[in-house]
Amino acid sequence: MQEIVRSKDVAPELDPITLDPITLEVIRHGLVSITNQIDANIKRTAFSPYIYEYNDFAVGLVGADGQLIAQCTGGMPPFVADSVGMAVRDGIQIYGKARLHHGDVVLCNHAAVQGQHLNNTVMYTPIYVGPGRSTLIGFFAINVHWIEIGGIQSNSTDIFMEGLQLRSIKLWSKGEPIEEVYRIIENNTRMPNELMGDIAAQLAGCLLGRDLTAELAEKYGVAAFNGAVERILDQSEAAARAFIRAMPDGVYRCDTWLDNDRSGSDEPVPIKVKVIVEGDELTVDFSEIAGQAKGAINSGYYGGGQTIARVAFKYLMGAGEMANEGTFRPIKLVLPLGKLISADPTAPMFMYPTPFPTVIDAVIKALENALPSRVPGGHFGTHSGVRFYGRRADGSFFDTHDSGHGGWGACATHDGAGPFRTMAHGDTRIIPLELQESLMPFRIESFSLREDSAGAGKFRGGLGFRKCYRILRPCLLGTNLDRTKFPPWGVQGGKDAKPGRFMLTKAGATTEQSVEKENAYKLEPGDLVSVETGGGGGYGAPSERALELIQRDLDGGYVTRAAAERDYGVRVGADGKARR
Amino acid sequence: MAFAVAVDIGGTFTDLVAYDHENHRVAYAKSPTTYGNFVEGILDCFNKVKLQPEAASFVNHGTTLVINALIQRKGAKAALVTTTGFRDVLEIARGNRPDPFDLHYRRDDPLIPRPLRFEVPERIGSQGEIVTPLDSAALTALAGKIKSLGIEAVAIFFMNSYANPVHEEQAAAALRALLPGVFITCSTELTREWYEYERTSTVAANAYVGPQVTTYIRRLEDDLASQGFSGTLYMMGSNGGLLSVERTCRQPVGLVESGPIGGCIGAGAYAETLGLKNVIAFDMGGTTAKCALVEDGRFSVDSIYYAGGYVKGFPIKSSVINIVEVGSGGGSIAWLDPQNRLSVGPQSAGSTPGPACYGTGGTEPTVTDANLVLGRLNPDRFLGGELRLDTAAARKAVQKIGAPLGYAGADGLTRMADGIIALATVIMAGAIKTISIEHGRDPREFVLFCYGGGGPLHASALARELSIPTVVIPPEPGNFSAVGMLLADARLDVSKTFTGRLSDTTVASLKDAFADMEAEARATLVRDFGAGEVLFERFGEMRYVGQRHNIKVPLPDTADPAAIRTSFDRDYKRRYGHADARANAEFQALHLSAFSRMRRPELKWLPRAQGGSATPQRRQVYFGAAGTLDAAVFDRTALPVGFKGQGPALIEEYGSTTLIWPGDRFEVGTFGELRIQCGQG
Repeated sequence: MQEIVRSKDVAPELDPITLDPITLEVIRHGLVSITNQIDANIKRTAFSPYIYEYNDFAVGLVGADGQLIAQCTGGMPPFVADSVGMAVRDGIQIYGKARLHHGDVVLCNHAAVQGQHLNNTVMYTPIYVGPGRSTLIGFFAINVHWIEIGGIQSNSTDIFMEGLQLRSIKLWSKGEPIEEVYRIIENNTRMPNELMGDIAAQLAGCLLGRDLTAELAEKYGVAAFNGAVERILDQSEAAARAFIRAMPDGVYRCDTWLDNDRSGSDEPVPIKVKVIVEGDELTVDFSEIAGQAKGAINSGYYGGGQTIARVAFKYLMGAGEMANEGTFRPIKLVLPLGKLISADPTAPMFMYPTPFPTVIDAVIKALENALPSRVPGGHFGTHSGVRFYGRRADGSFFDTHDSGHGGWGACATHDGAGPFRTMAHGDTRIIPLELQESLMPFRIESFSLREDSAGAGKFRGGLGFRKCYRILRPCLLGTNLDRTKFPPWGVQGGKDAKPGRFMLTKAGATTEQSVEKENAYKLEPGDLVSVETGGGGGYGAPSERALELIQRDLDGGYVTRAAAERDYGVRVGADGKARR
Repeated sequence: MAFAVAVDIGGTFTDLVAYDHENHRVAYAKSPTTYGNFVEGILDCFNKVKLQPEAASFVNHGTTLVINALIQRKGAKAALVTTTGFRDVLEIARGNRPDPFDLHYRRDDPLIPRPLRFEVPERIGSQGEIVTPLDSAALTALAGKIKSLGIEAVAIFFMNSYANPVHEEQAAAALRALLPGVFITCSTELTREWYEYERTSTVAANAYVGPQVTTYIRRLEDDLASQGFSGTLYMMGSNGGLLSVERTCRQPVGLVESGPIGGCIGAGAYAETLGLKNVIAFDMGGTTAKCALVEDGRFSVDSIYYAGGYVKGFPIKSSVINIVEVGSGGGSIAWLDPQNRLSVGPQSAGSTPGPACYGTGGTEPTVTDANLVLGRLNPDRFLGGELRLDTAAARKAVQKIGAPLGYAGADGLTRMADGIIALATVIMAGAIKTISIEHGRDPREFVLFCYGGGGPLHASALARELSIPTVVIPPEPGNFSAVGMLLADARLDVSKTFTGRLSDTTVASLKDAFADMEAEARATLVRDFGAGEVLFERFGEMRYVGQRHNIKVPLPDTADPAAIRTSFDRDYKRRYGHADARANAEFQALHLSAFSRMRRPELKWLPRAQGGSATPQRRQVYFGAAGTLDAAVFDRTALPVGFKGQGPALIEEYGSTTLIWPGDRFEVGTFGELRIQCGQG
């Protein structure tokens, strides 16, 4: 059901009269600018911080057969791989194109379709042009992380405990809202105000995007528009194939592990990846990856494995090429069903992205020797979530998710950067400390770079941070730190980085205790929670690092004297100068 | 003794406009910018217009000094002093990756490196309460260290100082006393809004450029004084108003967009005089095109600016006119990627090597080369004939990318050149859409007001792309930024964080907050400009409760919650297409703009003296689908007020050429402006 059927009647031959190379570029610019314009609008109008602060959404234009044509530049990586296209293809399958009318708006968050947690809900509307709006040229679609969709929220053991499933449901029909569907949604969420506000923003974005796209297609004609779309996909495919062809053929591997599967077991979870480069095709083979987990860290074949393979490929190709159906045509996937990232649609998925940063990075790492100038050291690779929640003095609820920024890997030309969020995040920003302090019952006592957290190398990794929260009123703590047993790796002889470390010092106590994977841990006034995030792995042998860079790190305190002497084999004199 | 003078120092040229208020005489001069000592270029301009500085009653001055120092990292050796535990806020920034799929992404280094970032014990709580008093002994010890390091400027940032600036003020006073000659600045002198990174970044930038700007302005004052100038020097602020020298020396970041601001002010002044309600100011230069909206004679001002761009740069919280800029100028290079996909810019040939047709070493095809190939530029009259253009070189460069795309022969060459212009037009139209449609404005309801060297050449095509019916080209489009500076008002913007749901009680405290801000702003304008009447505009940054992004809403009536609510809903709906009657609205910040009108020249005296022959020459010019046509070529200085004509035509003048398409009609207006009614298609 997920495969794209290309119908002959809408894939016209390229006609040099209606489609010259310049019109093609003008249409390409127009498509990207429409998705970016809608992206900007959603960010500004959304109610929930998931959208504005995390950018947990993506805007896309999908063709008449459900093929991904264009997306906004800054979308959330797990959505960029084609989440909107999957949803549209399910709708076409269920309704048939003839029953998807102008003014219809359809929703889908189903685990058998997207295979991600149920919050991720795609909304789309068909785009008709021409006399009497008779020609379907595509769909305008927006995937948004809905802030709350019911369910038990933690410790789920199947998808049915996780909230409301909507499988290709019309929210609007022929330009009229369907009240019943709105009522179902509004009465199946704990946060109706925020969610209904977000849905209004999502809807306005879909409709405006539809109208702008129709205007563009009408301006140049349907034949030119469709011809341009075909050509855009073909050119992206050609660019992707050229990129793959430049890699040496071979079978490349990376093996690593997650700490555990979040079901209470302490057994590491194997993440074993094989990448086969053959000519201009690249196969990502996940057949040796862990099976479906008991904890809620599963994802489906498309929303999990295929998404991860595509996101990793997009990272490798770089930001310049737009992600569309063509870009991903040369990517093949070997992934038996029933694995961690190809789980059954009934499996629990609430924390589905937990393995993503590690698996994406493992696919990239596998190609260390195929693309030595491009593959960086491993990044800190874990969501590293810290959540404080409870009631304020006036009885109102508060709930904050924080942290998650760590070091990224060093690359062939410079030190790693960061702290940033993971490879499963896009352009997401730290919530300002002054804002946090004004809303939450804690004071932040320090917020600094974590010295010595990076992996050493010719170029060292980026640093994680250290953030200390002094608790002012009783509240609950939740944490989700991974990669503590298998630290971020170095490449090309670079060293591993330090993993993250979450510690608690109880009020009045002198010793600290680890709080890495807590659920509803009770905090008291005076407690100090210290969050240290992991660094990024190094690139190249530390012995090759330029002395001036070592000195700069010493002068800035990024690397301590002891670590410099240990990792780089230098002697630091009384004058603070490093010598080999 | 009644000359008003404006001086705009740009990357290539220093422009001067002088206006005699008594005899209504105007003089223009252009001189190469003199790096090393900018004053020389200014004095050279004075010489060219045969004016002694002593004849000037005031000089309004815009400069790219601040932005250049920030981008090229040529500022002072600066230190940062923060609350214990927070010296890395400047380096961690907001921890985001604006280019999400770049594995090798890194932000530009912070302006102040870690070894020069120091901490002192103190702490203010989120409600403004003192948690830990400022440790003055530690501060004194730190001053000794700063002195020994030879530091020229110190930025002070303390956590939550927006809620209570007392520690920052104490620290600044103490360091000023301990470190005479060092430039000292603290974050709350620049902005009273929250968000620790943005405030730290702003104060760091202010310290970084402080010594250089202070030295420059004092030297300029001295040099002008030694030439007999006894009037007042004013600086062009990024907010579109004049700043006193004293204020500029405290808040040099207020000059960050001082350069391009003049054109926007000029567009506003012309729009007001011509009775144009809504205008898009569009400026196309050598490397970029910029646009801004002017509504009812006013441009919109943002309170955050990213120096070096959003992707790799850093924020400055300062009132900056809202300008959208794209990498599409006359020097922008057209190129093909490995899949033969055509792009234009953002790389620019600049002035070296320059477009291929300059004959100064450039071989890549640029927008200027394409215009020359199409016959739209006169190879013998470019910059008044000072630079002869090489048409053969332009053709060769355009052919280079035409061939791989299958554009062969003379016809192919023309189509390729036309394609370069078409793509540049789409990119520039995209900038105009960003500034209009994304703010809920329909560009078709605006007049396109074009200036800069390239603006008039592309104006009519842009108007067609956006379905804008009317284009206006002011006199002196090539000097327009300096002209605008001559027309500036005194202006002061102040803002502060103000939170609370919209209700009777918040509105009462909002009135008090504005009253305080207004009293302070009025006193400053009276002191710095001898202002008589001071006008105020009030804005609230508002959102629905629960949202994370604010919109800036005008608050003409600050007493009535219902009126404020109506104003918010209307702006919200205009911008986003929907409003929510059920949701509560809340405030995040207050902004006040205070204005005082300066003595302005009358616009009708600004065009240069008439001259030349009104009889047009003729030239073959390519006009897209209409093909190559025989076009009339006018000399603009020869066209009298009231002159009417129609396309296809070209109107040439020093520094610019206006292209009139077939179907367009034009007329020379009362103020010397060209008014073009665009045809269809």
